[in-house]
Amino acid sequence: MGVVHGDLMTLNIGPQHPSTHGVLRLKVKTDGEIISEVEPIIGYLHRCFEKHCENVSYEQVIPYTDRCDYIAAMNNNFGYAVTVEELMEIKVPERVEYIRVIVAELNRIASHLLALGAYGLDVGAFTPFLYMFRDRERILDLFETLCGARLLYNYIWVGGVSHDLPPGFIDAVYSFLDYFEPKIEEYNELLTYNKIFIERTGDVGVMPPEVAVSYGVTGPNLRGSGVKWDIRKNEPYSIYDKFDFDIPVGAGKMGTVGDCWDRYYVRMVEMKESVKITRQALKGIPTGDVHQALPKKIRPPQGSIYKRTESPRGDLAYYIVSDGSPIPYRLKMRSPAFTALSVLGEISQGWMMSDVLVILGSLDIVLGEIDR
Amino acid sequence: MSEDQDKFIADVVEKALQGDMDAINNIEDRVTRSKAKAALVKAKREAKAAATEDTSKSEESKTEESAPVVKSLSEKVAACLNEKFPNSLESEDVNGYIQMKDKNWFEIAQYLRYNLDFLFDSLQCVTGYDFGENEDLEVRYNLHSMTHNHAIEIRIKTDRNNPKVPSVEQVWRIGDWFERETYDMYGIEFEGHSNMTRILCPEDWAGWPLRKDYETQESYHGIVVPKVKDGWE
Repeated sequence: MGVVHGDLMTLNIGPQHPSTHGVLRLKVKTDGEIISEVEPIIGYLHRCFEKHCENVSYEQVIPYTDRCDYIAAMNNNFGYAVTVEELMEIKVPERVEYIRVIVAELNRIASHLLALGAYGLDVGAFTPFLYMFRDRERILDLFETLCGARLLYNYIWVGGVSHDLPPGFIDAVYSFLDYFEPKIEEYNELLTYNKIFIERTGDVGVMPPEVAVSYGVTGPNLRGSGVKWDIRKNEPYSIYDKFDFDIPVGAGKMGTVGDCWDRYYVRMVEMKESVKITRQALKGIPTGDVHQALPKKIRPPQGSIYKRTESPRGDLAYYIVSDGSPIPYRLKMRSPAFTALSVLGEISQGWMMSDVLVILGSLDIVLGEIDR
Repeated sequence: MSEDQDKFIADVVEKALQGDMDAINNIEDRVTRSKAKAALVKAKREAKAAATEDTSKSEESKTEESAPVVKSLSEKVAACLNEKFPNSLESEDVNGYIQMKDKNWFEIAQYLRYNLDFLFDSLQCVTGYDFGENEDLEVRYNLHSMTHNHAIEIRIKTDRNNPKVPSVEQVWRIGDWFERETYDMYGIEFEGHSNMTRILCPEDWAGWPLRKDYETQESYHGIVVPKVKDGWE
């Protein structure tokens, strides 16, 4: 008996669909219930980020980076600031480095909480979403006391940060971490080891490491496939080489290495690691003036730079070409979610219709960053 | 007065260079003090430039004497490519990146991807670049190796009026979307790409937005596109 091919049916998911995490359209070709082709169609959120950057000064770019990955805006600011500083050879004060690491790791926890909560929602578990949003809210409150904004911070500037830590901030972060750490166990009980959840995600959407590397997939998605790669460890920037933390990788605990459950679980463990880093940073934070190294005018010397940092979604890189003027000549953002979405067509082939959104959710994409 | 002042500043700068910063910090007049500080920065910069020149000269003289030199990765790759694919490099000078001709780019990409010394298994980024109106366009590739943890940058120039570069979609799968994005923004066609269409802009968008001479279309599907003012208020 040969394989029988029925007629293919084309089905559109999106652009407006609650499970697409933004405005994304998936053109799905199905053979009955089996997926034979998925083509993501993007661009609905394109806001000409790179064109804008060629028209505004270096400091004005920072609010635009906020709006690319609006879930983890601190990390976007961070990557941009680090890149421009390296181009200008600015050395920032120790205190600034510590503050940056603290806020970046807190934002990483917030971003992962949203990713995991929404992922539960994707597979039909409503309660964990509420639990995780409750805790994410605490981080946003912390950021609000820090810089007045809840999502789009414009906090990390080239050469420093916009405000010093407010009084009592360090204690507040400590008490948040004490509150938050046991909650991870609670999430595990609620969702991670839930039988239905494992049935839906274990062994589904397996991404072999070679495929992941070839598609440029990075971050938790790559680590879920068992590749131990983290820019914070392998190419340390800022002061990440001072901290002691592990890189969790997928081990195929509930199926095959690189399945949806692995990608999910890597994020869960990563939150623990972020807590660890934050604690160390809080302990070692020195005193000092955070505005000391702010340049009066940002005018990098002629040249180009390509610099990568680890955002919650993976390698976030900026390619900046400067012609010596206060406006970037060319600024390209290499977005981790862009590469993560490109692999969707490859890894969802052969799965059931209902698995497509499970696989998509496990990649944790943010459309603002993909379309820029 | 000003001659006196110049002399005075030169004096304190000399002192500061020898490590006596108080000489500058104790100047009471603010204007003079800032002038002195500026002069100090300038002097330091000149000294630094002279020093690096010295070391580079001494290094050069060393290379003439002793044969084994530690080459940077880009130089190694360039030398290797020059041997394997003669005439593929635009220039043999390597300055942090490798300037290449578009000829053979697909074969070279395969070589870089699978050669055991390099193993550039990950294409990090593809950046389009415009040198300005009436100038050439360029594509820049950032390659990275997960095994060896090293990276290089490759640049390929192409003619503005007929921009064509071989596609590397078949070597690195992410090349597919990166090249589509570059095509979308710069109109550079990647020969051999399976689906050379726009990715971020709508299919019927006119013009290449990131080119320096781009002008917005007047209307799109009957919607008037507002004019962008020059400069920012």
